[in-house]
Amino acid sequence: MLEINNLHAELEDDSEVKILKGLSLTINPGEVHAIMGPNGSGKSTLSYVLSGRDGYEVTQGGATLEGADLLEMEPEERAAAGLFLAFQYPVEIPGVGNMTFLRTAVNAQRKARGEEELSAGEFLKIIRAKAKELQIDADMLKRPVNVGFSGGEKKRNEILQMAMLEPKMCILDETDSGLDVDAMKLVSDGVNALRDAGRSFLVITHYQRLLNHIKPDFVHIMSEGRIIKSGGPELALEVEENGYADLMAEAS
Amino acid sequence: MVALDETQLREGVDRETVETVQSMAGTYKHGWETDIEMEFAPKGLNEDIVRLISEKNKEPEWLLEWRLEAYRRWLTMESPDWAMLKIPEIDYQEQYYYAKPKSMVEKPKSLDDVDPKLLETYAKLGIPLKEQMILAGVEGADEGRKVAVDAVFDSVSLGTTFKDELKKAGVIFCSISEAVQDHPDLVKKYLGSVVPQNDNYFAALNSAVFSDGSFVYIPAGVKCPMELSTYFRINAENTGQFERTLIVAEKGASVSYLEGCTAPKRDTTQLHAAVVEIVILEDADVKYSTVQNWFPGDENGKGGIYNFVTKRADCREDRAKVMWTQVETGSAITWKYPSCILRGDDTQGEFYSIAIANNWQQADTGTKMVHLGKNSRSRIVSKGISAGHAQNTYRGLVSMHPKATNSRNYTQCDSLLIGDKCGAHTVPYIEVRNASSRVEHEATTSKVDDDQLFYCRQRGMDEEEAVALVVNGFCKEVLQELPMEFAMEAQALVAISLEGSVG
Amino acid sequence: MMPRAKLKAQKRDAAQARLAALSLPQGGGWVTRARTAARARLLDMGLPVKRDEYWRYTDPRDLTSDQFAAAKVLKITDEEPAFSAVDRVKLVFVDGVFDALASDDPALAGVEISLLLDVANTDLHWAQDIYGKLEARGQLPVERPLAAFNTAFAQQGVLIRATAKAAKPVALVYLRSHEHADAIMHHIVRVEQGAELTLLENGPVAARFNQVIEAEIGAGGTLHHVRTQGRDHDRAGSAHLFAQLGQGAQLKSFTLTANGRLVRNEAMIWLDGQGGSAHIAGATVGDGAFHHDDTVFVTHGAQGGESRQVFKKVLRNGAVGVFQGKILVEQAAQQTDGYQISQALLLDENAQFLAKPELEIYADDVKCSHGSTSGEIDPAQLFYLRARGVPEAKAKMLLVLAFLAEALDEIADPDLAEDLRGRMESWLQRHS
Repeated sequence: MLEINNLHAELEDDSEVKILKGLSLTINPGEVHAIMGPNGSGKSTLSYVLSGRDGYEVTQGGATLEGADLLEMEPEERAAAGLFLAFQYPVEIPGVGNMTFLRTAVNAQRKARGEEELSAGEFLKIIRAKAKELQIDADMLKRPVNVGFSGGEKKRNEILQMAMLEPKMCILDETDSGLDVDAMKLVSDGVNALRDAGRSFLVITHYQRLLNHIKPDFVHIMSEGRIIKSGGPELALEVEENGYADLMAEAS
Repeated sequence: MVALDETQLREGVDRETVETVQSMAGTYKHGWETDIEMEFAPKGLNEDIVRLISEKNKEPEWLLEWRLEAYRRWLTMESPDWAMLKIPEIDYQEQYYYAKPKSMVEKPKSLDDVDPKLLETYAKLGIPLKEQMILAGVEGADEGRKVAVDAVFDSVSLGTTFKDELKKAGVIFCSISEAVQDHPDLVKKYLGSVVPQNDNYFAALNSAVFSDGSFVYIPAGVKCPMELSTYFRINAENTGQFERTLIVAEKGASVSYLEGCTAPKRDTTQLHAAVVEIVILEDADVKYSTVQNWFPGDENGKGGIYNFVTKRADCREDRAKVMWTQVETGSAITWKYPSCILRGDDTQGEFYSIAIANNWQQADTGTKMVHLGKNSRSRIVSKGISAGHAQNTYRGLVSMHPKATNSRNYTQCDSLLIGDKCGAHTVPYIEVRNASSRVEHEATTSKVDDDQLFYCRQRGMDEEEAVALVVNGFCKEVLQELPMEFAMEAQALVAISLEGSVG
Repeated sequence: MMPRAKLKAQKRDAAQARLAALSLPQGGGWVTRARTAARARLLDMGLPVKRDEYWRYTDPRDLTSDQFAAAKVLKITDEEPAFSAVDRVKLVFVDGVFDALASDDPALAGVEISLLLDVANTDLHWAQDIYGKLEARGQLPVERPLAAFNTAFAQQGVLIRATAKAAKPVALVYLRSHEHADAIMHHIVRVEQGAELTLLENGPVAARFNQVIEAEIGAGGTLHHVRTQGRDHDRAGSAHLFAQLGQGAQLKSFTLTANGRLVRNEAMIWLDGQGGSAHIAGATVGDGAFHHDDTVFVTHGAQGGESRQVFKKVLRNGAVGVFQGKILVEQAAQQTDGYQISQALLLDENAQFLAKPELEIYADDVKCSHGSTSGEIDPAQLFYLRARGVPEAKAKMLLVLAFLAEALDEIADPDLAEDLRGRMESWLQRHS
């Protein structure tokens, strides 16, 4: 599904700041991978580089999604190809209704893939059902995108978008940040419901607790722009117990 | 369930938008011209031309005198230079001031007798003039709404729909040239009473040479049974359009009026100098909406309409209300300040505006709120969007006279810049001459937010679509004040007007 | 002749007539050259008239005419002059004429100070680059004929050059002795790279005054400017501040105006270097025959600049407050942060506030906003205070001072801010 090979990236404005320094990772269809690491290890940058946000320069290496070169594509092409990023800080867009936003996105992607667009009626039916599962009420759908949403509402909205867009490769960037226990459960249930053999996940998190809810197949520890250790779910527990310091010392 | 139904209705609008946007792959959509034989008055402007226009319209002597007086005043005036506009010198002798399709020389008795070519023009613009077709239904709404249309083609009105039905309600809706014949007393009483002949350079020019326009009279206590609309089309080359609209709402009357404009693509510029006067008496209210989509010139700044318009509403008596809503996307140059004279006590004026300038367009537009009566209220919401090499200025006046005690104004002006070659300017004048009135003015300038664009693109929209979505969001406060049919057209226009502004 | 050409001709004729009886001050060298050029500028522009766009709210006649009204000299016994408590180097002008005996030794300030009177044939290179040059630059996009007049005819003024942090603030003290004095003063200030200077001005100046300050602030330099314009009622005058800022330079200018029949304060600020910062603020209290006009232009010419304009006016009994402000952001000035607020509190029905707060923006990556409000004391706030037991007069005072606070916050030195706050409080007590 996702193949990252020796990826190097630095800040576009300041080539002195090198963030990714040779990161490699392979995610097969249906797998859930977690990347953990201390602040500043480059976790969020990885998600931005993969999704095509401005501001980063890839200097070496590459990334493919189902064999297609991700880094050559515009952000919307990556989205249409099936890449979805659940933002750590979902962006507020005043004046644009949540529904309008989502339907525009859904239909843009369908069109890009040569599929029939959804009519208003069909769309409404689908979104109502999905919203209900995530306990998102009609009012939240009508409000402008993320404007005035609480932290939990924003993250639920991200998962709703994920459910509507049905991507192949989902990157969850610190989806647990700012969530209380109940909200985390709700969000995790939403994610788990989407798990299937054809869909892969990359869960980026600082803490192990999210991984109690979204059980990963593989856990990777990231430090200074590289993966320094990979293992099974037990690796996350180890971090929880001992912190990152030991692992980092081990790696250097 | 109520809430969800509402959603569906809104969604109906938005879906329409997306589809319209997608269907309009090109840029300016209304740039074609109608090939038709025209009767022109000789080129140039002098007293004889003024007399000729008056004669063609079979006007009474007083109106001819009125025009001549305006013309003489105009000769002593100068084109205003205070707007942030670079206006190339206009040779007023190189223009035609009167152009009429030959088939209209003998006025057709009804729309059915109008030259099919002309009717086709309007059908192509999406303005149906056959009454049975005019059920501008909106999906999701319970029933279609009727809109009566006055179609103005170059210098003349082709005809007005739903006249009889309106007549039953006591509403007069006809061209101003007809009104001069059929309702001379009303015209004489109100013409020039809001915008005097010599109000400004362009109003004086209009007063001298206006050829047609719409006249609306809503008698006391009548709520106009349908929306009224005038559709202006400039077709002939080198021809100025000088229409004059007069709306009178008697005590307790109510009307919503829409105005739309387009013109063919040409690489020479064309002049449009209109005057709109609205008289609003006690407890009456008028809502005036414009979607201005004159040809804006091409991407190199060639051609386009010079749009110099004076619009003013006089809330002459207590509790009169007016609301201007405008979406200005067209014209090479826009000079336009729809104003409210809040003369009566407890009167209310509102101005909602979206002005989009792309490529080499220049817009200097805004409003005046002149508070003369006690407890008068006004509200201004202006959204300016600049892209390409365009310059976009909000210019507004809020004036609280000493006697306008306990009055209120709130003004919000937001500007959005797309690209670093354009300009966005705000020039408000605030004059407060009594203490109990409260005036608040806020303005911001920003660019389209990169994070918002990235968020949209991550969800699969391309850059232009993302910009259109974010800009439509920026304009929401104004769009929602438009009548439903216009809101759809306006949303689509926002997207189209910004084509080519990114990347 | 068409109306605009006719007006221009009238303005020029008026300038011609006004200058007919005036000859340029004696001198020589660069000062005379600057004066001659300014005179020519003025004749070309003509005198300002109320029909000019930036004089629409203030009638300039009393500032341009060869006649001017006498102004009674106010003897103040109920408070010390402003800045009395500040350890400063005082340079005293009486009716606009330097008084060496009343002044401190200029050397104590740790900066170079010369008198305009003495520099005619000297070789002050730094001054040549400033005198009349900033004023000339400031004639675009809006003409400022009064400033050109000043450059041409001023004989009085000081030239201050700071090459490091000044030891003490330089205080220009303007005393009055005659009812008829017409003072023209022109100061220039240069703050060299990394240097810092505090310039204080206080006093009513003269029956009529025309003051200009031209200031150049080098890279990383700082100029603090705090000014109070005295309490005399009848005087009329104009003051211009032209300031040009280098990279990372800072300017803070604050003016307190109380009373005065007619005062026009103009500021023209250019942020030429990257990351410059300019804060221009003013607090105005006026009662009765009082017309006060702040006209402020801030031009962002380079990236990453920051500017604030904060003007507050408390007006009563027919007093008129005017604010004309502009933030101009040129195409090169990306990442500009510009803010402007102008507010009036009208204490009774006859007061007036006339404002034209403008934005003119040619760069897209900017954050610019302005706000302007006018109104009376909020009755809900007043009631709330009274319901808590604060007497009405005291409650009003608190609310007015709260209203003025945002402008006072722009003064860097808290002691100075407190001194001026106290002066406004006393004024409010006298005028309640």
